[in-house]
Order: sequence, then C-alpha cells, then structure tokens
Amino acid sequence: MAERTDFWATLTDPLIRQNPVTLQILGICSALAVTTTLATALTMSISLTIVLTLAAGIISMIRRHIPDTIRLIVQIVIVASLVIVIDQVLQAFFADISRALSVYVGLITTNCLVLGRTEAFARHHAPLPAMIDAFGNGLGYSLVLIVIGATRELFGKGQLLGAQVLPLATEGGWFTPLSLMLLAPSAFFLLGGLVWAVRSIKAEQIEPPEHTPPVRPEPAE
Amino acid sequence: MSDAWSLFVFAAFVDNMPLTLFLGLCTFLALSRRTESAFGLGIAMTGVLGVTVPLNHLIYQGLLAPGAWAWAGLPELDLSYLSLIAFIGVIAATVQLLEMLLDRYFPAIHAAFGVFLPLLTVQCAILAGSLFMVERNYSLGQSAIFGLGSGVGFAVAVVMLSAIRARLAYADLPAGLRGLGIAFVLAGLMSLGFASFAQMAAAP
Amino acid sequence: MAETDWNPWRRFLALPNESRTKTVIVAFLVSVVCALLVSGATVLLRPIQTANRAAEEQARIADLVSSIPGMAALLEQSGGTLSTVIIDLQRGRAAQDVTSGTLDTALADPANWTALDAEADVAGLGQRPDYVQIFLLRDGEDVSLALLPVTGQGYGGRIDAILALQGDMKTIAGITITGHSETPGLGGRIEERAWQASFPGTEIRDDTGEVRFRVARGRATNAHEVDGITGATRTGNGVTRMMRFWLGPDGYGPLLDAIERGEF
Repeated sequence: MAERTDFWATLTDPLIRQNPVTLQILGICSALAVTTTLATALTMSISLTIVLTLAAGIISMIRRHIPDTIRLIVQIVIVASLVIVIDQVLQAFFADISRALSVYVGLITTNCLVLGRTEAFARHHAPLPAMIDAFGNGLGYSLVLIVIGATRELFGKGQLLGAQVLPLATEGGWFTPLSLMLLAPSAFFLLGGLVWAVRSIKAEQIEPPEHTPPVRPEPAE
Repeated sequence: MSDAWSLFVFAAFVDNMPLTLFLGLCTFLALSRRTESAFGLGIAMTGVLGVTVPLNHLIYQGLLAPGAWAWAGLPELDLSYLSLIAFIGVIAATVQLLEMLLDRYFPAIHAAFGVFLPLLTVQCAILAGSLFMVERNYSLGQSAIFGLGSGVGFAVAVVMLSAIRARLAYADLPAGLRGLGIAFVLAGLMSLGFASFAQMAAAP
Repeated sequence: MAETDWNPWRRFLALPNESRTKTVIVAFLVSVVCALLVSGATVLLRPIQTANRAAEEQARIADLVSSIPGMAALLEQSGGTLSTVIIDLQRGRAAQDVTSGTLDTALADPANWTALDAEADVAGLGQRPDYVQIFLLRDGEDVSLALLPVTGQGYGGRIDAILALQGDMKTIAGITITGHSETPGLGGRIEERAWQASFPGTEIRDDTGEVRFRVARGRATNAHEVDGITGATRTGNGVTRMMRFWLGPDGYGPLLDAIERGEF
C-alpha cells in the first residue's frame, strides 16, 4: 500500500510542488519558443512527455550496465534516437504543425529536463517508478506550456486551437488582439508572472534573499 | 564584406539566441547571478559555437545531405535524418577536445573558462546553431560568421542580465518574485529592447 | 562454489562497468540498436511523408485555382484539368528530356543549377534550378491560366509561393504562399487570405515590358502594386524581389514571352 502512495506522490509532485519549469528551472527554452499557439504547445508537450517517459524507461532498464565514462553520451544518443523517431512521425502525420515547430522538436534532445530527470532519477530507480516520475514531470511541463500557450493565443489572436473565440474588431467584434502576445517578450513576462503566482500560493518555493541589508535603526541623517 | 557584417549583426542582435529565439535559457538564467560566471559562459559559448557550426556544416554537406554521396554512385541516398545524432556527437567531441587543448596549452584560460565547457555539451543553443545552419542553407563562411555572431550575442545578453541582477541585490522585491521570477521579467524587458533590432538586418 | 557461466551474455553482463571490453560493447550495442530504430522508422515513414507532400501540393493548387473568381466557371466550360509541364528555364520552353518523374533526380545534379552573380540575384537565391514544374490550364488551344512556383529570400528565411497568371501573361490571377519563416503576426501574415486578395488584377509589367510589380508600403497606389503589411516592410521587400526575379529575364520571363506569342 505504501508503494501505491509513493507512485501517486511521484506522479503528482512535479505538477506544482516540484514543477520542472517553475521550480527546477529545467526545460525552459522550448517552453517559451513554441507557445505562440495552443496547438504547437500541445504537440510539443505530448512529444516531450513521450520522449521523456520512453527514455527514462530505457535508461532505467540498462542502468546497471552503463560505464561511467560513456554515461552521458549513451543517454544523449538514446534520447536523440527517440527524438528523431518522433520527428519523423510528426512529419508524416502532422506536417503543418511539424513545420511550425521547425527546429524545436530536435531540441528536445538537449532539453535539460529530459537529461536532468534521466541523470537524477532514472539512473537510480527501477523502470516503473522511473517512467512514472518521467511522466509526472512531463505533465508538469505540459501544464506550464498549455497555460502559456493558451494565454498567448487567446490574447494574441483571439483564437484557441485555431477557432475564433473572441470576435476580432476588424471583423465586426469587440476584441483588438494584443500583438505583443505573439512576440518573444510576452512569454518571458507570462512565465515570470506564473512563477510569482505559484510562489505566492506555495510559500516554501520562495528563494531566500541573497543579501540581508544591514539593520539601520536610525535614519541616515 | 557588408554581407558578412550584416549576417554577424543579424545573428548577434536581431535573432539573439536567448532573448529572441529562447535558446540556451537554462544556463542563461542559472549563470547570470555573477558577472564573472556570465562572462566565462559567454566566452565559452562563442568559442564552441564558432567551431561547431562550421564543422557540422562540413559534415552535413559531406556526408548527410541528400546527394552528398553522389561521388560514390549513390546520388539518392539521403541521410539527413541522422543529422541530429551526428551533430550532437560532433559537439560532444569538440567540447571534450577543446577542454583538453585548453588544459594542455592554455592552462590560465582553462582555469578561467574551462569549467563551463562540459555544460555546453547539452546546451540547446549550441545544437540549435547547427540546426539553423542546415535549415537556412548557409555556406561554410556564413556558418562561421553565424556561429561567432550567435555566441557574441549570447555573451552580450548574459553579461547584461548579470549586471542588472547584481544591481538588484538589495532591491525590495515581492517574495514570490525573488530569484527566478524577476530574472524572467528582466529577460522579458531585455527581449523587448532587443525586439527593436528586428528587421534591421535581414537573414541572408 | 563458483561455476564458470557458459552463457556469454550473462558473462558480459557480469563484467565490471569500468572494464574496457564492456565499455566498447555497450557503446556498440547502443549505437546499433539506436541506428536500427531510427533508420527503421525513417524508412517506414518516408513514403507517407512524400505522399503527404504530394497531396498537400495538389490540395494547394486546387485551392488556389478555386479561389480565383471565375475559375470555377472556366473549368466547367473547358472541362480542362490542370496539365503540368517541366520547363527548361534557360530556353524558355518545355524541357525535352526531363519529366515530372525524373525532375528530382535532375535537380540533384549540380550541373542543372545556374549560379547567379550578385547583380542578377535579386531574390537572394544564390543559384537557380534550370528545370521547374509549372501548371497550365488550357481553354481549347490557348492557355487561360499559368501556375508558376516562385521562391525568394524573405526576412526570416525562404518564401515559397505559387503565382497564378491570367492568359495574357500580364495580369496576376492570384497567389498562394506555400512556405515561409517570417515572424508570426507580422511578416507571417503573407499566408493570410486577406493579404493575398490584393493580388488578383495586379499588372506585373508596364507597356514597355519592364517588370513593375511592387509590394507597397501601406496601401497600393497603382495597378502594379499590392498592399503592404504594416511592420513587415522587409518581408514585403522580399516578396517584391522574389517576384521581380522570377518575372524577369532570369526567371520565367522568356517563358511568358513564349506563351504570349502562342508557342504553347
């Protein structure tokens, strides 16, 4: 029974308590680049979760036999192969989205989240817990991507998944899209805001101040 | 000559890797707390990018591109799907070699910047440099300039961010924004500033 | 009692991880398995990808033709389907020994590309293929519509498009953008119907035969211009240069003259 609870904790921890993006600072690059629309954000989340889970499973299976000298490159090659397969599948069955994602699917290979979890967790645990942890982290990552992707598409174009949700002013409605949402800086601001929101709710994630200013009981004069 | 300069400016400022393309952000944010580490990271990035992008260009054109094996009588062989693995391998090997060379012949430089090199093996920005080179079909000279320009742009951005964060040491931030949160907001503001470079130089 | 294990696989697994033999064998096995996985997936999926690309191309062309006003009526009248022709750009007429099946192989040969010097290379292409596949719609003997693939350097990368010219080879019937790497929301708006709708009716050449097409900054002011996109001047310039190159002497210019003279 204790194992069951452990699995649930392993799965749900990365959603908010140990979210890879907002707390562990992993996997940020692609988290911002592909969130201009919800469709690309979803595709990226699914691709990364699949690669992460499979890679964790495979590496965990052979974990006892990986020599230390080639450890990193073996992990990278396995992840890279999985990424290439996913990329080929995307190009075959979802060609438009694949073109929109361009190089960022390939960059899952060097995504710090994937390598971070395989190094930290998969190498020291059995395949099933490793895959559950990987899947949980993938979900946490997907959560952040979906929130940002939905916000950017909704306020940048008034659409969600390509369907016009907020009627555009140019077509007789009331909504003037916020073009800033389609550009890079908005993703940074949104992510910063998201981190702020999460840390305001979960105070234990707040970083301690780097320096404490000297205590000054009287005014400077 | 102006084409080369235009490409350099484009790679460094217009298509700035961390601030416009969101590449290399993990190390960008993690190593921007201190200006010394930021500077070291910038130099290491420039060096590795400047070497790996042209090197990967040679390997891609020589072995992987469609039609690359025409001289051997196999003009239809298209190995471009292996480019991801090949590039990663080349980058890992280059970083390893660079570190060994620096350690052997320039120990002072190695002590200053060498510690950042292993981090760069799995940096998305380095791999992205090679992937963009393939996507945009650069020549060898263009690859070198693109690599150096991207590295310089990264260095400029990370040093600037570290300088701003140093200024915030005593700032009275809301607790939730401390550290990571304010780093994102700062990066967003810098990105907004860099967006003004857009359309100043065209991608060749 | 320690027995010698005769099973080589178990013996291999029992080796200490740091031994050189194990390192080499693990590296080899990982490489082989990954290579098989990757190559297998690619070989299996490649036919689907090529079929997809071909289907997309067909759908785009059908889309382009159906969006041009009056085309549906013309199609009904002539009952014509699009016919495709491989053009030899150097001679401005149908290629003699290249068919649509052999086009890809022909273009894989660098001898079938012409390098462009800086002055002629208006669209930033570097080199131009000598053979291009175009589509013609015929109304009896005459050509009523020509669909010409064009490409050029935009702001963020290559822009690929298919240009539709009316039978007089002077007026644009429509355009569709098939590929680009422009900024979404700015230059990326070239893929929107609303922008492409300003193309039909634009005259590419003036009376002296000089190519006068231009993407304006702001609204179009004369018959040779189309509307520009605010904030995407460089993308607009890229489109202008692309059109000027392909409608000029190094692109389809000789072909358009040939069609006008009725040689097709």
